[in-house]
Amino acid sequence: MTTTIEAEAPPYAAIAVQGVARSFGDVRAVDNATLTVPAGSVTALIGPNGCGKTTLMLMLAGLLRPDEGTISVAGHDPRTDAAAVRAAIGWMPDQLGSWDNLTCLQTLTLMGQAYRVNKADARARGEHLLGRVHLEEFAHRPARVLSRGQKQRLSLARALVHDPQVLLLDEPANGLDPRSRIELRDLVRELAGEGRAVLISSHVLAELDEMVDGAVFMSKGRTMGDEAAAMVAEARTKYRVDALDRDALIAALRSSSVPLEETDTGVILRIDGDDNAADALAWIVGKGVRVHRFGPVGSALEQTYMAMNEERR
Amino acid sequence: MSTDTTTASELRMDPSSSRPPARRGNPWAPSLHGVGLMTSIELRRRRPTTKGYIFYGILFALVAAICILAAVFTQADRSSANFELVLILVLGVGMLIAPSLSATSINGDSGEGVLAPLQMSHLTAGDIAFGKVIASWLVSVIALVALSPFLIYTYLSSGWHLGEVAMTIGAILFTVLAFTAVGLAWSSLAARAVASVSLAHLTTGVFLIGTLVAFAIGGALVTEDTGERDRYIDYEQLTPDAQAALEEAYTTGDYSTLDAADYPCVDSEWAYTVTHTDQIAWILLLNPAVMVIETAPIVDPETWEKDGRAAPGTFALLHQQISDARLGPVEGEATRWVYDECDDLFGSGAEAAEMTEEEMEAQWAADEAAAAEREQQLANLPRNPWPALGVLAVLFLGSMTIVVRRLRVPYKKLRSGTRVA
Ligand SMILES: Nc1ncnc2c1ncn2[C@@H]1O[C@H](COP(=O)(O)OP(=O)(O)O)[C@@H](O)[C@H]1O
Ligand SMILES: [Mg+2]
Repeated sequence: MTTTIEAEAPPYAAIAVQGVARSFGDVRAVDNATLTVPAGSVTALIGPNGCGKTTLMLMLAGLLRPDEGTISVAGHDPRTDAAAVRAAIGWMPDQLGSWDNLTCLQTLTLMGQAYRVNKADARARGEHLLGRVHLEEFAHRPARVLSRGQKQRLSLARALVHDPQVLLLDEPANGLDPRSRIELRDLVRELAGEGRAVLISSHVLAELDEMVDGAVFMSKGRTMGDEAAAMVAEARTKYRVDALDRDALIAALRSSSVPLEETDTGVILRIDGDDNAADALAWIVGKGVRVHRFGPVGSALEQTYMAMNEERR
Repeated sequence: MSTDTTTASELRMDPSSSRPPARRGNPWAPSLHGVGLMTSIELRRRRPTTKGYIFYGILFALVAAICILAAVFTQADRSSANFELVLILVLGVGMLIAPSLSATSINGDSGEGVLAPLQMSHLTAGDIAFGKVIASWLVSVIALVALSPFLIYTYLSSGWHLGEVAMTIGAILFTVLAFTAVGLAWSSLAARAVASVSLAHLTTGVFLIGTLVAFAIGGALVTEDTGERDRYIDYEQLTPDAQAALEEAYTTGDYSTLDAADYPCVDSEWAYTVTHTDQIAWILLLNPAVMVIETAPIVDPETWEKDGRAAPGTFALLHQQISDARLGPVEGEATRWVYDECDDLFGSGAEAAEMTEEEMEAQWAADEAAAAEREQQLANLPRNPWPALGVLAVLFLGSMTIVVRRLRVPYKKLRSGTRVA
């Protein structure tokens, strides 16, 4: 379930970004980005193409120097301890690159060795990771035979060879088939469950909805702060109710002056929390309305994304 | 399954995992482990494809054919020419292959998206840079090994000593290493592989051919005119009688019957030039091929047989040419005898013209001895590979500095027209 976790202790902010900006020539790729990703949680980075998601991730990864702003990853500052930052991060780039004539297992073993893990351990870990991303049968096949989705999964495994505390996944669901997407979702949740901080950018919003704890929206190089968060929270309270007799449903609700939004097949209500939803359903059914559909409205992230893009116009 | 993990050190993925050691700062220096690993990654992933093997096969066959032909067409006695030919081929093949490989190494990897993940790892910029340069360079070492049968076979009759062979091969491999580093530097600067490969070969060309051209052009700047005057008898003004008498005198060799008054003289002036190559020989010494020749053993044109050497081969003769440039024109050569026909016939020269056979032979012998002495001096002039070696060392270190700087992350500036990933 994706309820906002009430933090007993202030969560350890694995990634903290404040007012970061970066230009390429006169293109201001990231204008003003501010976000935090707590350890053990998954945060989505959402925005249209070219809004600066990849550029922001590169700065977090310690590959690109920000022009302005401060970044802290796993407690290290990339300006002074870039190597420590890089060591703490597992980065899955959006550009798929692999050593074509090396096998998947060789790739992971060499990558592990590049992180100074000894060869035997790196190989064992490589085998374990190939299992986790369901590429065991390709362990001894050259990477060039992999399909796009399989390369994507190899890239994810590569990001995990050094057991990083922070994961930056740049559009990991691109090119994955539906089954692999679900597996990716489960894997990401598992990784967060192990205490890692995960920042994930994606366009497949419906998928994200079920795996993220928080979302950061980006538009034209800026992160949308609280207003976007409020919109997501609001979107999460929307429930769709469809009844066989639409008019009876509306009449019953109106008579008790419940605020509602009419749709073609029923109404949309705002209900906060699972308990209230159960009560609301019981109440409507108790009124004799024959409800045939009751549930959250689509993807909260998608609604917010669409609403924001509308605002921009 | 709520996690109250608040410190990083408690995070563990699974028992089989081993966290890499912690790091601080942003080190760049190469380490033995890092360079070794990077070299092995490069060698494995740049294993030639089938097409590559075919290319190398053709190249090898070509070189082998040249070696075999050279061996067949030279006489069986001691000669270092073939051995020197193989050395030149090794240098040529090395200069062709290794910089081509290194010149696509960084921008190629970056384009394929495999550079940034390595930069993220514990490999430092120095590890990646030196690993890449060594991996490309090793390919030319492999070429050397592939040609070693010819090398060994021709060495046996070359009269070179083993230590000298090691020194010259060392010089060749160092030259290749320096230009491999230059190729790598270009690939770290240029966004596109086509550009970096051409720039790498252009740099090689500037040093191999450009220095020769510069030497030739520079020669014009250090050439001075020395006037030379000749005097001839003016045949146009001779009376038929006088002409007949002169012809008669030429055949008999007895000029005493001629009257000087009958033979008017004309002056003619010639521009005669002296090139002070000694002032520009350093340009020649910057040429890496000249440097390799300058590491070859000195072969004395007189005593080579006694010294257990082969007759002066290609390298020894080229060393003489280089020495000739280094020493410049022979002192006093500008006073070469001016031809004065009138003086020969009627003046003090008349006696010289009446040299006896012995005197003339003595004169020739003296001339010959002077030439031999000059040859001795040229052949035995101490070798000077140092200017080129110095330049190569600077090229190597400069290139590697550029590469390491360009590979360090976080990037401030990107190669224009590229993305990190
Ligand atoms: N290396 C670069 N040089 C020039 N412009 C760049 C570079 N990288 C990104 N940009 C520009 O910055 C903007 C943001 O790019 P990016 O971060 O890749 O977007 P996203 O990942 O959100 O699709 C785009 O307009 C892109 O054209
Ligand atoms: Mg992107």
